[in-house]
Amino acid sequence: MVQIKYMLMVSRQGKVRLMRWFSAYSAKDKTKICRDLTTSVLARKAKMCNIVEYQDHKVVYKRYASLYFICGISSETSNELLTLEIIHRYVEAMDAYFNNVCELDIIFNFSKAYDILNEVLICDGSMTETSKHTILKTVASMDALETSDNLDQVLS
Amino acid sequence: MGSLRTFIKDVRGAKTLAEERSIVTKESARIRTKLKDDHLPQDKRRKNIHKLLYLHILGEKTHFAQVECINLIASDDFRDKRIGYLAAVILLDENQEILTLLTNLLNSDLNHPNRYVVSLALSALGSLTSPELARDLYTDVESILARSTDEFLVKKALQCAAKIVQRDAALLEIFYPYIESILKSHHLSSHGVRLGVAKLCQAAILSRSQYEYDNYPEILQSLVLNIPEFYSLLQDMNATNFNPEYNVNGTCDPFLQVELLYTLRLLFELAPQETERYKDKLNDLLTQIATNSDGTKNSAHAVLYECVRTIFALQLEQSLKVLGVNVLAKFLSGKDNNTKYVALNTLLLVVPQEPHAVQKHRKFVSRCLFDPDVSIRTRAVELTFAILDSSNMKELIGELSSFLKASGEQDKDLIVFVVDHLIELFELHAVGHDNWAIDVMVDLLKVVGQHIALEKVSEIMMMINNLRDLDHKSKLIKQVLQISLGKSDGGVSGDNLGWKLVSVWCIGEYGDILLQNSYFLDTELTGYLTLLNGLYSHNVKIISYILTAALKLSAKIQNPACNEDLRQIIKGHMKDTNLILQAKSSQYSIIFNQPAKQKQDVLGAMPFFERKNKNGNSKSDSKPDTKIQEPNLLLDLLESTPASNGQTKNDSQTLASIFGDQPSNNTANVATEETSHVTIPIPSDAVHAYNSSDMDVSIKVDSVAPSEAKLDLYVKAHAPIKNLQVLAAVSKTQKLVMGTLSNHSIAAGQVSRQELKVTGSGKLKFRIKLVHESPTGTQIEQFDHKLDQSL
Repeated sequence: MVQIKYMLMVSRQGKVRLMRWFSAYSAKDKTKICRDLTTSVLARKAKMCNIVEYQDHKVVYKRYASLYFICGISSETSNELLTLEIIHRYVEAMDAYFNNVCELDIIFNFSKAYDILNEVLICDGSMTETSKHTILKTVASMDALETSDNLDQVLS
Repeated sequence: MGSLRTFIKDVRGAKTLAEERSIVTKESARIRTKLKDDHLPQDKRRKNIHKLLYLHILGEKTHFAQVECINLIASDDFRDKRIGYLAAVILLDENQEILTLLTNLLNSDLNHPNRYVVSLALSALGSLTSPELARDLYTDVESILARSTDEFLVKKALQCAAKIVQRDAALLEIFYPYIESILKSHHLSSHGVRLGVAKLCQAAILSRSQYEYDNYPEILQSLVLNIPEFYSLLQDMNATNFNPEYNVNGTCDPFLQVELLYTLRLLFELAPQETERYKDKLNDLLTQIATNSDGTKNSAHAVLYECVRTIFALQLEQSLKVLGVNVLAKFLSGKDNNTKYVALNTLLLVVPQEPHAVQKHRKFVSRCLFDPDVSIRTRAVELTFAILDSSNMKELIGELSSFLKASGEQDKDLIVFVVDHLIELFELHAVGHDNWAIDVMVDLLKVVGQHIALEKVSEIMMMINNLRDLDHKSKLIKQVLQISLGKSDGGVSGDNLGWKLVSVWCIGEYGDILLQNSYFLDTELTGYLTLLNGLYSHNVKIISYILTAALKLSAKIQNPACNEDLRQIIKGHMKDTNLILQAKSSQYSIIFNQPAKQKQDVLGAMPFFERKNKNGNSKSDSKPDTKIQEPNLLLDLLESTPASNGQTKNDSQTLASIFGDQPSNNTANVATEETSHVTIPIPSDAVHAYNSSDMDVSIKVDSVAPSEAKLDLYVKAHAPIKNLQVLAAVSKTQKLVMGTLSNHSIAAGQVSRQELKVTGSGKLKFRIKLVHESPTGTQIEQFDHKLDQSL
């Protein structure tokens, strides 16, 4: 199984594009983790393995174009290889939603990126849906509901 | 106030960090004021929260927005609710006081007619479950599980239920029946729902220790009954034709497969007796998965990896374990670095269970030693040591040697690790392989000597010293010097201090062997020492070895010119700023001038060094005591190992009697552990600086020149103090030279004095750290002190 403690999205320049904490961390710890991982992950060469040991847990990361997806996972039980698949599933979902996603999409529509993530991972970072189709359908329905609410208001 | 898009654009457009900061702080302040406005239209509120979420990503403080999240959630508009819940999940955590305000809102939203509102509430509850929220809201979650036929809601409610059980184990009582009922329901069969079931089942197993009621056996029984259901799910997913919706590179839903395997593993671990009857089937199933899914893709590997972990966690049948090791070996032989890494990691855990099966694949392990990825190299080195035994020692150490030869600067830690372990290994095993072991070590020293700690180098010297095969020993020593003197290929770099140390030591110890039949000329050896003496004049360790080597060599050569050179080396350090070198040089120059006969007696070869056996019974009793008295003292001077206290005293007396009129306190660096009773008075003008239950500390300024001050630190003990160490730091503009400490051990009421010399400029201030052993253990005391004087 995989339990994700946190997921960070960091650009190649080291800017944080998205962060989601599935366990309670203090603000100080959050800053430290972001800083430490950004430096250590960005310094790694392309051919190196995608698993890093950090503090008391493991960190799995994957690079897509200019963005690094970095996940802290609980060390003993989490399956590192499956974590890579989870990241990939999330990226696939975003790719389909934004129709060929790029870093700029995520920067300007970060709340959509969060919405999609919330349909993939829930509670303390466990996966809740594996079908890309279902994930997209849910997000699209919620988007539609937002516009219809908007419409209602205009009409009333 | 502009839109979110403009704000993001502005931040990104900032040319300097300062400009970006100013944009961010301004906007943050503006939002803060706006939040106080109660009549702000809803769309403006949404925009503010959006911006705050962006600020949060930028790492800004957003705590002032917590109430606003709640306000938005309370709205009827779906758009407000969506962003409000999102912000709550991102900005809050389960430890926030404000969650109490959320309870009622969650309660009504969990019962909302719109499924998406319910789902938002479930997601938020799942992220923010505190024990209080769990107790307040579990009934709402339960009613979804009991009534809803909507897979979308049930899957999330199951995950929430799992989290609630984690927070308050007593609620397991409520939720456990749903595991079975939902698993068997035909309407609720999506993979999302099954993931939720697996999760709830895991939570039920993991919360056992916190569950206080006595019906846990019943619960366990009902959990165990689900095993066949889990089996058939796994089997279906491994059948040939499955739903393309869940296909991940040719593997059917690896996420669900792994989750189910983990659930099964927990069940079998927790209830070995109750699950016994399902065990055969599990063996079959795992064999089936492990043999059938032979994909080369990461998704297939993830499932295989989980299978292997299950096999070893449950200590299943021998044949399965072998299968597991083979799967991992296949991972190792592949190209993907991630699978290599997890395989090495798992094999490390598996070695104690299946040493032989793992050893069979040592070729693959050795290949990983040369992987470009340092994490993989590290694991491979660890694993190599784990599978090493007497049968494959030569082969694997050969591999490790070639690894070290290929290693670079970035592998420093790894090199140290390898060398340490090799030394340890040779201590335990090398009986019978002495010649080979020392060859390996000397070879390694040549390649990576610059990274090896100098203590470890002494271990290597000990190995050379203890070598029983004298022919091999002399061959080895000659070879070392050949390389050092540049007479054979493969020179050694200048920063390879370990190597230099060994070569210097060899000259001192084995000068006679080296000079035999004029294999080397006395001028060569002397020249080498003189050269190093010049090159490494700042390295105390090397110089003190050179001094000893020079002294010892002088007893073995007749050439007066060379002898003069050696005398010059020793004499050159009589005024050395380093006290140890100075003392050593002074003592040596006295020995140097003794008649040749006495010198040869004192400077004989080192005896066989008996290592203090780890199990305690040293064999040294068999040795005649009288013979080794003098060399023992030399051992002491060389700082190799402290001889026993009684012995030391004896030796200093012997030495005193040899040199007759020399006062015995010349042997200054023979450590005396006794508590001194010489009273040192604290001068009346000393300033009191610090006191604690153990000691009083005062500082007296002896002299202050424009750029140099001399001070004394007096430590008066209240209780007996042992092994006192004084450490001090001064401000950056100054330099500190620590003088001598008069006593390391002080009796109660006695005083010890530490001399300090400060050069530089600025105010005189210190940070002093005192480390000592009191009757209650090692104590560290630290204080800062500022003096009125300045430089």
